[in-house]
Amino acid sequence: MHVAVVLRLIPDISEDLEIDGSGTDIDREWIGFKLNEFDDQALEEAVLLKERHGAKVTAVMLNGEGADRALQTAVARGVDEVVRVDHDDERVFGAPQIAGMLAGPLAEVGATLVLTGVQTPEDVLGQLAPTLAAKLGWPTANAVSGVILRDGEVIAQQEYSGGLSATLRISGPAVLGVQAASQPPRYVSGTKLRQAQSTAIRSLPASASDAVKTGISSLGVPSRSSHAEMLAGDADAVAASVLGVLRERGLLGA
Amino acid sequence: MTAKLLVMWVVVAAGLGAAAYRASPYVKPLLAAPASNRWDRPRERLAGVLADLGLHRRLLRFRYSGVLHAMIFSGFLVLFSAIVQSFGSGLFPGFTLAPIGGQTWIAFLQDVFALVVTVGVGLAAWQRQFIRPKRFQGSNAADAWIIYALVLAVVATMLLEFAFRLAALGHGSPWRPVSSAIARAMLALGVGEDAAAAGAEVAYWLHVAAVLGFLIYIPGSKHRHIFTAAPNLYFRNLRPKGQLAAIDPASPSAGVSEMAQFDWKAKLDLLSCTECGRCQSVCPAYASGLPLSPKTLIMDLRDRMMAEERGQAAGPLIGGAIADETLWSCTTCRACMDICPVHIEQMTKIVDMRRAVVETGAIEPMLQTALGNLQQYGNSFGKPARQRARWTKDLGFPIKNALKEPVDVLWFVGDFASYDPRAQKITARVAGLLHAAGVDFGILFEAERNAGNDVRRVGEEGVFETLARSNIEQLEKCSFRRIMTTDPHTLNALRQEYGVFDCRYEVLHYTQLLDELIRENRLKLEKADGDRVTYHDPCYLGRYNGGFDAPRSLIAASGHALHEMGRCRENSFCCGAGGGRIWMDDSAMKERPSENRIKEALALGDVGTFVVACPKDLVMYSAAVQNLGAQDKIAVRDISELVALASS
Amino acid sequence: MRALVYSEIHQNAVSPTTRELVTTARRLAGGEGRVEALVAHAALEIMAKDVGGVDETLAIRHPALAQYNPEAQLACLVAAATERKPDVVLLAYTSAGLDLGPALAARLGWPLASYCTAVQVSDGGLAATSQIYGGKLDALINLGLPAVLMMTPGSAQEDDGAAPAALTELPPPPLDDLRTTVLQVDAPDPDAIDITKAARIVSVGRGIGDKDKIEEAAALAALLNAEIAGSRPVIDAGWLPKERQVGKSGRKVKPRLYVALGISGAPEHLEGMGASDLVIAINTDAKAPIFSHAHYGATVDLFDFLEAMKTQLGS
Repeated sequence: MHVAVVLRLIPDISEDLEIDGSGTDIDREWIGFKLNEFDDQALEEAVLLKERHGAKVTAVMLNGEGADRALQTAVARGVDEVVRVDHDDERVFGAPQIAGMLAGPLAEVGATLVLTGVQTPEDVLGQLAPTLAAKLGWPTANAVSGVILRDGEVIAQQEYSGGLSATLRISGPAVLGVQAASQPPRYVSGTKLRQAQSTAIRSLPASASDAVKTGISSLGVPSRSSHAEMLAGDADAVAASVLGVLRERGLLGA
Repeated sequence: MTAKLLVMWVVVAAGLGAAAYRASPYVKPLLAAPASNRWDRPRERLAGVLADLGLHRRLLRFRYSGVLHAMIFSGFLVLFSAIVQSFGSGLFPGFTLAPIGGQTWIAFLQDVFALVVTVGVGLAAWQRQFIRPKRFQGSNAADAWIIYALVLAVVATMLLEFAFRLAALGHGSPWRPVSSAIARAMLALGVGEDAAAAGAEVAYWLHVAAVLGFLIYIPGSKHRHIFTAAPNLYFRNLRPKGQLAAIDPASPSAGVSEMAQFDWKAKLDLLSCTECGRCQSVCPAYASGLPLSPKTLIMDLRDRMMAEERGQAAGPLIGGAIADETLWSCTTCRACMDICPVHIEQMTKIVDMRRAVVETGAIEPMLQTALGNLQQYGNSFGKPARQRARWTKDLGFPIKNALKEPVDVLWFVGDFASYDPRAQKITARVAGLLHAAGVDFGILFEAERNAGNDVRRVGEEGVFETLARSNIEQLEKCSFRRIMTTDPHTLNALRQEYGVFDCRYEVLHYTQLLDELIRENRLKLEKADGDRVTYHDPCYLGRYNGGFDAPRSLIAASGHALHEMGRCRENSFCCGAGGGRIWMDDSAMKERPSENRIKEALALGDVGTFVVACPKDLVMYSAAVQNLGAQDKIAVRDISELVALASS
Repeated sequence: MRALVYSEIHQNAVSPTTRELVTTARRLAGGEGRVEALVAHAALEIMAKDVGGVDETLAIRHPALAQYNPEAQLACLVAAATERKPDVVLLAYTSAGLDLGPALAARLGWPLASYCTAVQVSDGGLAATSQIYGGKLDALINLGLPAVLMMTPGSAQEDDGAAPAALTELPPPPLDDLRTTVLQVDAPDPDAIDITKAARIVSVGRGIGDKDKIEEAAALAALLNAEIAGSRPVIDAGWLPKERQVGKSGRKVKPRLYVALGISGAPEHLEGMGASDLVIAINTDAKAPIFSHAHYGATVDLFDFLEAMKTQLGS
């Protein structure tokens, strides 16, 4: 089975984010980018499929700053091949546009199972996995927490709220939105990363995507209707204040 | 050819043959091992061997054992002449040492040192049986007792032979006081001349048997060190202490995961261990209850090497013979390597094995997070590089950017000093002192990355190289005379480790710089009546880089009296943060090394301040004082605080 | 405006989030508009009475719909949308919503806004406010009609169920050649700990760092007579069992006391505990979204806080 895993770099949300001049995007000049957390899980699950079932794994990523480095990291993690999808679009945003650009290359790659992260912190226009699935005409399942292969079919664990989950079997090609890999993403040593730096990256042209009709009109800082009362002082002072509040509310004791 | 001569030859040949047969399984792994390039600088190497053996420097750091060893050692050297005499005359009739003094001064020395050896063995036995030092725990006691017995047998048979010979002559000899005394006792007991002559013959053969027995027993015993110690000392590491060996780019794998990958010098180390336990007694990991004893590590590696030689080894080296937790317990403080009398390199073997483990990715989650942060952000805290210089915000004066303008001193701040809130206070204070003294200094701001010292010691060569190359690239853009840092780990990386990339920087610790400023009168201190303090030598400043005096001079200059702890200077006891351990889980510890150390300080009885010179020490010891509830008994202060208080 | 609400059904019950969608749909449709709900299941009788407040329930009945099956549900939703031509389709931001919302939008070529916390009619279309970048910012998205909305659970009140509407059965789309099959459904272990019943909860986020450090937080929980719980990353890393997960893909809790240690407050987590009576948050990042949903907060180091609490409680 040939598995493709779609990787995306997203702004590091642990940093301070500022809205840029246009008001429709964050200022991307000074922030760092990192691999989308759920895509990292999808990558790990794909490598596990290779290790457990002998699947071939290709990592796919759209062109952009840091793409080559991210793909080389995927090599260090154990994928067989890496593909960078080249395009000329100045701004790529939103699942409909991305799915359109990836449909052609994915067909070229020839994978029959596409994994990607279930969501990113900026996919307010829709999630990639179901959008891509609809475009390719394949079934989808999201919030997947484990994938195995059995008799050429995909067995996926889907999570719902309240601790509920179900085991689905999908035959034929599918696109899955991965929430968690079967085990936490493994550590890759710096030496492996350095060795991977010399890997050749295959490039494919993006397929044409439909014109973007809907986008973000503006970004704003959420108006907080409330904010916590911040307790001052060091840990001891804070603990004392907290215990005071708990005592007041009758929350200490049985 | 007389029958006696023939028998002698046969016995000696058989004895030596048996000894060689026993020794061969120990020699074979060394011959088959990868090369080790320790053949350089022969004069320096030889000089070191003679100094170490002659002066017994390291051995005498443990006084009782050092003295008894000197006695036995010197005795063996002298009594070697007796063995030469016995075997020589037995194998080559007519051979004698008489022409060079074999009957006079050599005889005298033999007699005296026979006694010295006996007393030495007696002291050793007393220590083993009654004093029972803790460092012997885990060592092979049976082996030791057998050696005592064999040594006494060799000495006793030798003395008996001399005594019987003198008795056969009917009188003593002024050159053999001890043997003469025994001879007189024999004569007094009525031993006749003929009986004495026969006794001498018997004693001679027993002596030969004892010596051959000793030689046959030795290969399998820790006493083989009498043959391996001098070579092991000769082939010791002469590269800078604080510089780990680089990975061989030609080798397919990093580090050591199989016995076969240890080179012959590493294997010689394993054969030279006397199981004395000095390393165990100074190891902070062992003291804290973690599953690491450098002594046991070497013994286990040795046993594994021999098991493999015999085809009896089962399971992997790491995860089997050596547990993963053992490898991760090490703080790389170097106390073990610095105290070992035969210069065994325990710590570097741990780092070699860590390198192999890191390649497989089988490392604990906390360490994985730290290394991931180092890869992504260039610091172990996971904070953006931009926040590195946040501590400069409220200083009240600007700090030069060394990338934009030339500076005299480039201050390489370091991760902890930049990001940890407790350490930031020291950093700000030091900046104030430098500013007041008019030092022309600058920092790299967000271009600085972790210097990589502990990354290397964790075994992550790849990330180390990435960090180091990045730092070197930035430093090359700057114009400076010297580099200064407040963090001893950073100091070691810049001063010693970056030599691997052919970079030589003049690197100072801030205590050195402050000391200089005071000497040059650029920083004036008012020596007030300070209290009694004690000072903790950081491992990477003291043991690794010889920086013992500047901090002490600063303490005195700020008007405090120093009450040294027992484990000071080279013997300093590690706080437990090094070797990446500050990035690891410590729940398996029974007592943190830092708490052990604070207790040592408290035991001095009259010190109210525990002075440190490293940001990690400040963090570790402040936490330790809190955990022990000793906040009102002792305060942890950085040296810069003492200096700042004393400066106007 | 015509609105179509997708009813999510698990374990033979309509999810409360569906009732939230009805409230929003009602508001968007206005007095003259129409709200319809799609119920696609094998046995309809029980379902229909749970979807109150709508003008009409569209029901599709087929054995293949006995359990939630993404492929089957999508086919039904596409069929209903094609048939009824609503101006807006509303789904909740849940696993089902993820499966169906974007796929429906892609199939029909309609615009979509996800993680919506608020939406109103605007200029002949819709103006949706969505959380972006972990809730640090809000995105305003203007959508032309027809459109698909994925609403964040908790962004509206549950419609309190007026009389059940008229029920119309629609013919099922082809459901016999599905490539997806539900092999089994796992309900949570009834014997496992049910944190939704706990009156006090001490919850840890990624900031706890390590499985062994959880013991320190558990020690505080014990002193406070509270249950220990965690956010998704903590459960994903295997540091706490699934039953103790709080958040969108875990449990929704409503305790009297919720102490959040090292939790940033991503919307998915807030979904799980936002309704707690008293929330105390400890996080070194002063800008962490959790502080907008906590009653008390502090930026001290969480381990220092644990130590101080234990010392002060122990004495």
